[in-house]
Amino acid sequence: MLTQKEFFEKAGAGELQAVRCSRCGALAIPPRAFCPECSERAWQPAPLSGDGTITSYTVIRVAPRGFAGEVPYAIAAVHMKEGVSLLGRVVDIPFDKLKVGLAVRFRPLTRNGQTAVGFGPR
Amino acid sequence: MRRVAVIGVGVTKFGRHDRTSAELFAEAAADALADAGLPATAVQALYYGNVVGSETEKQLHTSPQAASVLGLPAVPTTRFETACASSHAAFRHAVMEVGSGVSDVVLVGGAERVLNVTTEESTEYFAYASDARWEQTLGLTFPGVFALVARAHMTKHGTTEAQMAAVAVKNHKHGTLNPKAQFQKEITIEQVLKSAMVADPLKLYDCCPFTDGGAAVVIASEEVAKAAARRPIWVLASAAASDWMLIGDKRDLSRVPATERAAAAAYRQAGLGPQDINVVELHDCFTIAEIVATEGLGLFEAGTGGVAAEKGWTSLGGKIPVNPSGGLKAKGHPIGATGAAQIAEVVTQLRHDAGPRQVDGARVGLTHTLGGNTATVLVSLFGRD
Repeated sequence: MLTQKEFFEKAGAGELQAVRCSRCGALAIPPRAFCPECSERAWQPAPLSGDGTITSYTVIRVAPRGFAGEVPYAIAAVHMKEGVSLLGRVVDIPFDKLKVGLAVRFRPLTRNGQTAVGFGPR
Repeated sequence: MRRVAVIGVGVTKFGRHDRTSAELFAEAAADALADAGLPATAVQALYYGNVVGSETEKQLHTSPQAASVLGLPAVPTTRFETACASSHAAFRHAVMEVGSGVSDVVLVGGAERVLNVTTEESTEYFAYASDARWEQTLGLTFPGVFALVARAHMTKHGTTEAQMAAVAVKNHKHGTLNPKAQFQKEITIEQVLKSAMVADPLKLYDCCPFTDGGAAVVIASEEVAKAAARRPIWVLASAAASDWMLIGDKRDLSRVPATERAAAAAYRQAGLGPQDINVVELHDCFTIAEIVATEGLGLFEAGTGGVAAEKGWTSLGGKIPVNPSGGLKAKGHPIGATGAAQIAEVVTQLRHDAGPRQVDGARVGLTHTLGGNTATVLVSLFGRD
């Protein structure tokens, strides 16, 4: 079972790692104990391509403490080509070009020494 | 389960206070007990909601503290934390304690104090209700979560910013009729649309405020309720549901599945449907949240909640009045107290005691409280004989 720490280590190296249920084939990211579709506990690693499309987005103008120096910044929900979704920061795309359906590609972001999920232009 | 009634309610003024959350709760609880006509010694347990006390007040163990400040040091207490739905979760469990026969009189409530810290700090603490590693690291905020919901709803259904603004205008209008409300001034659609952007497309006036306040209700068994000072308002149902924690796991951001599940369970418990509801207090932490909740509760079809707000169907005097108290938007949102405050308002409405904001002839009421990132929802139904 892929731990959260391992996921982000791989993500930091540019590899998005999901898991696939070896009984029913359901895909999950991040990993969870039971398959929500069939309750099985047998997961196989399933690397993702990193390609996805935006399903919703926002531009944060009022930030939590620690993020105030970064505003404005965009966050989007992205539906990955393989069928799972991820939330991430959007970088290198002008705010006025953001739209639902826009094609984006995963890229790791590093902030305070931590990897976070990011998306940039395809 | 035995029948359970609400026999006393109390709410502080919502807004800025120079008192601790325990003090705010104690005021509301003492008022609720006086309303019930019961001495404090009648209380057999306290179910309490408080969310960010460990951050804003450096205080954990808030339920025995609240009981001590109230002057009831010996009753069993439990603190509930399901983000903004905390005191509604407390209420559901208290109903089970009385319904199961364990206790006859239970005090339920909550309190929050946040205006003693900066907006930047409270924005951070509220964001703790989203996942620490996956979402807080992105700088996701609570308005940001509902901005994603809003954009998805606009894309799928054509909901407009003006329709969202109509929710704010309506709830501010209702707030002018509630002396306990944080805001008691009317606003216009244009003011909402021109207010500062917080998280596109949500603007300042699409967002509820930060609020200090407390709320409490006294619940009792049928036997106690029938001998009580006030007309009992019966708990017809109290249901909870959850949804995935991560935004990425929510398959359709234009919906809140936990609302749909909790509503279905509550309607089933009571043998009622949305057509039977006369008054609603629901979780309008953001204008879009009210629109999506009216749809999830079955009051309006999916995609038509914005139209309903714009046409005045949810205003006092409309088809189904929503948030006559002013809602979280105008009444204010002291997160640990909100669920109990909504129940207090619906009980007041069903007693026909709500004065200028009374929904005429209301017999069945609904409260809906949502936790944080839409992962928790509670729905309860109330009725008068």
